Amino acid sequence: MRRVYLATTLIFWLLVSAFWAGSLWLPSAEESVAVAAEKVITQSELVRHALPDNCWMAIRGKVYDVSAYLPEHPSRPDLVLPWCGKEATEAYDTKTKGRPHSAYADELLATYRIGSLATDKQ
Amino acid sequence: MSLLRRSSIPLLLLASTAGPVYWAFPEGLSPARSLGIVLGWAGCGLLLASLLLMLRETWLSRWLGGLERMYQWHHLVGMAAYVLLLAHPLVLAADAWPASPVLAWQTLSPFSQGWPVRLGWLSLLLLMLGLAATFATRLPHRSWRWLHVSLGVGVLVGLWHLLQLGIEEPVLPILALAALFLGWRILREDSGLAARPYIVQSATPVADGMVEIALKPLAEPIAATAGQFVLVAFFAGPTFRGCGEFHPFTVSSIGADREIRVGVKALGDCTRRIQSIEPGVLARVHGAFGTFLAERPAAPQLWLAGGIGITPFLALLRTGPLSQETTLVYLYRAEADAAFLQELRALAARDPHLSLQAVATGNEPPNLDSLLPTAGELVQHECYLCGPPGMLAAVRQSLHKRGITPRHIHFENFGFR
Repeated sequence: MRRVYLATTLIFWLLVSAFWAGSLWLPSAEESVAVAAEKVITQSELVRHALPDNCWMAIRGKVYDVSAYLPEHPSRPDLVLPWCGKEATEAYDTKTKGRPHSAYADELLATYRIGSLATDKQ
Repeated sequence: MSLLRRSSIPLLLLASTAGPVYWAFPEGLSPARSLGIVLGWAGCGLLLASLLLMLRETWLSRWLGGLERMYQWHHLVGMAAYVLLLAHPLVLAADAWPASPVLAWQTLSPFSQGWPVRLGWLSLLLLMLGLAATFATRLPHRSWRWLHVSLGVGVLVGLWHLLQLGIEEPVLPILALAALFLGWRILREDSGLAARPYIVQSATPVADGMVEIALKPLAEPIAATAGQFVLVAFFAGPTFRGCGEFHPFTVSSIGADREIRVGVKALGDCTRRIQSIEPGVLARVHGAFGTFLAERPAAPQLWLAGGIGITPFLALLRTGPLSQETTLVYLYRAEADAAFLQELRALAARDPHLSLQAVATGNEPPNLDSLLPTAGELVQHECYLCGPPGMLAAVRQSLHKRGITPRHIHFENFGFR
C-alpha cells in the first residue's frame, strides 16, 4: 500500500509539472485562434443566435459561440441562457458577488471566439 | 463467515460509488471530461464508505464481518479513493490540452482559478499529508493520530469544493453523512461515550515487558467472549497517569463476575507506561470486537501463537476443557518472553484434548517446516493463528504447502492501527 501511495503521488506531481511546463513552452489558444477571429458580426446577426443550442454572446467587443460549452457551465442554466444573443460583458464581469470570471474562464472563452462585434458605424 | 457478511462491504462500496456516479453521470460532454467527472464522484463515494468503515461499533462490526476486516477495507478503500481523486483533476486538464496547453494548465492551476479549484487542491493536499502520516509507522501514536485527522478534514474540504462549484443536490446529504460519521467517531469512540467505566483490580507482570490487567466493571459490563479484543483507555490512579487513549487489547480472561483481564505488551509510549499501572486506576472499555475463535467446528485443531498472540487461546482455555483434539504451538523468543507458560503447561496436563508445544525460537525466524505438523497429521484440521504479521505470513505459506486451503486457516494479527 505504501508503494502504491508513493508511486501514484510521484506520478501525480510529475504530470502536474508536465502541464505547467506545457503551458510555458507550447503556443497558447489565444494565439492559435486569433487568426480566425477577424469576422465582424453585426448586432442583428447576434440576436438571431439566442437559443440554448445556438447561443452567441458578445463579451468585451468579441463574439463567442458558446453553444457547445453551455452544458458544461457550472452555474444553473437560467442564469446563463438569458444572455444568449446579447451583449453579455456586464454579466461576464459580475459573476458571484460582482466578481469577474477567472483567467481560466478567459482562456476557455477564447477557444469559442468566432469574430468581433460590429460597432454602430460598421 | 456467512455469505451476507462476506459480501456486505463490497455491496456497501458498490452502492456508495454507483449512487453519486449515476446521479452525476455527464451527458453530451467529451469522453475525457466525462471520465474526469466520474472519477471525482467515484472517489467521493469511496471516501464516504471509508469513513463509515472506521466506526467502532459492536453491532456495525457484526454486520460487516468484524472490526479488523472493516479496518483492512478502510485502508484499501481510502487508498483507492485517493488514486481516483488524484486522477480527477489530471484528466480534466488533459481534456483541455488539445484546445490549448495553457487552458489545460489553467484548468489545473490553483493560481488561475477561483475558490472551487483552490479548495479541491487543499483537499488533495490534506489527503496526501494524512496518508503520508498513515504510512509513517515510526511516528509517535499521538502525532500519528492528529495527522491522520487531516484525512477527515480533507474529505470535508473536498465536499466544500463541490458546493463552491454550485452543486448542492447530492453534496449536502453526502456532507451531512460525512460530518455524522466523523462526529460519531470523535464523540462516541475517541471521547469514550460508547465505552463503559471499569477500575483496575490488579496488574500482574507475566513476561518481560508484558502485564496482565484485571478490570472490574463499575456499571453495566461489556459482553465479551474468548478470542475477542476490547479498546481500553486508562486514566489516572493514586500515582499512575495513563495516556487516556483507546488502544486494542486482547481479552485473556472473562470471569464469572464479569471481570475481564487483558494482556498489555509494551509496544509503544502508551503501552510502556501501562506496564507500571496500579490497582485503582480508572479505565473505559469499549467492545468487545472480533470473531476469531467464534463458531469453531468440531474438527481437530491446530492453534499457533507467536508471543502475545497467546492471549486469545489462553482466554478460551481458561473457560474450561476443550471438546476438540487441539495442538497448541506456542512460539516465543526466550523463556523470559513466554507469558503464561506455567499456566499453559498446567492446563495441558489437566486437559486430555490439549497438546502443548512450547518453543523458544531465539532471535532468528523459526524453522516452521520442523515445527509444524506434517501434511498427513493436518488432514481435516482447522488452523487458528495469532501473532505478528511477518510470522503469520510465513505460517500461512507453510500451511498452504501442506495442502491446507485458506478456508481452513483463521488468523488474527496485530496490524490494527
